Amino acid sequence: MAEKKGRGPRRSDRPSAAVAAELKQKRDAFLHTFFQQGAELTDEIVKENRRLHEQLSVLEEENASLKTQLASDQAIRDLLKKIKELEREKSRLLSTVHEQEEITSRVSHRFVEVESELESFANLYVATFQLHGSLRVRSVLRNVKELLGQLVGVRSLAVYFADEQARRLLPIGSEGVDLATLPAIPLREAVVDPVEAAIERAYLTGVPHIADGERAAAPAACIPLQLEDRIVGVIVVYALLHHKKRFVTVDRELLKLLGAHAGAAFVAAYLWGEAGGRLPSAEVLRESCA
Amino acid sequence: MTAQYSCLVVEDSPMMRQLLVLALSRLKSLRVTEADDGVDGLRKLATGRFDIVLTDINMPIMDGLKLVKRLRADPNHKDVPIIVITTEGSTEDRQRALQLGANAYITKPIQAPQVIAKVKELLKIDT
Repeated sequence: MAEKKGRGPRRSDRPSAAVAAELKQKRDAFLHTFFQQGAELTDEIVKENRRLHEQLSVLEEENASLKTQLASDQAIRDLLKKIKELEREKSRLLSTVHEQEEITSRVSHRFVEVESELESFANLYVATFQLHGSLRVRSVLRNVKELLGQLVGVRSLAVYFADEQARRLLPIGSEGVDLATLPAIPLREAVVDPVEAAIERAYLTGVPHIADGERAAAPAACIPLQLEDRIVGVIVVYALLHHKKRFVTVDRELLKLLGAHAGAAFVAAYLWGEAGGRLPSAEVLRESCA
Repeated sequence: MTAQYSCLVVEDSPMMRQLLVLALSRLKSLRVTEADDGVDGLRKLATGRFDIVLTDINMPIMDGLKLVKRLRADPNHKDVPIIVITTEGSTEDRQRALQLGANAYITKPIQAPQVIAKVKELLKIDT
């Protein structure tokens, strides 16, 4: 075979040892590169793996946290629900409490009213009992004075009785004011004094005069004493006790009771005394009842 | 309900006595005995046991102040609660009664709730 000019020796022309060395060198270089790249790749894979592990851990933690949060949210929802239920229960209980308070208030108010009514009835009962409990004029007068003093709170008073022949009213008893200083009150004459005028007016008209508050000029009250359809006298209340500022309902009832019964009590006591305490015979009473 | 306590009302006025008895009879645990004056009161105190005494001051024969004095001097009654009943303005009588050993006073005109409250307070009755 002919050799071409200008060209280097062909591979086949070089010594096989050199070729082998070159090949070996190339192979080593290749292997080196190959293993180096493999190592790098392995490193990267290891790093990636580690990173993924870390990421997995983070995700697991997040997952656990989310799970916890979810559980917590449910607990909160349960609690909120419970709070709403408790709020409703609280409203219901408060409503019940308010209702009970209103009932208690009404009962307390009624209790006070009943107490007051009971007191009034007790006073009226005692007044009636005592007014007709004696058949002596002096005792009747004492009872009238005590009733007005103890039950109404009267400081000064007088009892006038009619002297029909002389057309005047005469004081027969008093409390807190000297009887001797009390004038007889002529009827149907021009009376200037406002106290006397009030007494006369109460007698003549049969209409009680009861002041609402304190009045210095006029008496606090003038109560006509009735005996059937006649007026036989007047109870005059000049002044009330200091702490008693005005008449209350039960006072007016007591004054009405005195007006209706005191005249009869005085007359009955007088007639009983005149009769010497002798009872009428049953026959006489039966004839009277017929 | 049987009466647990006994009360003596010493008052010369029948009307006032009746009012006091009516008021006190609302206390079911109280048995009420009446006396006309101080002497009658002492007589009843000598023969019976009383847990509380209510007495008027102005009475004939023996007044309320003398009664208070006598009770406080008596070992049997030195501790029994005493309520005196006074009239408006009788501040001296009231003070004298308290000095002599009365426990409380009520001013006329009396009111049942006031009387009941005072008796319950001194006898330590709850209801």
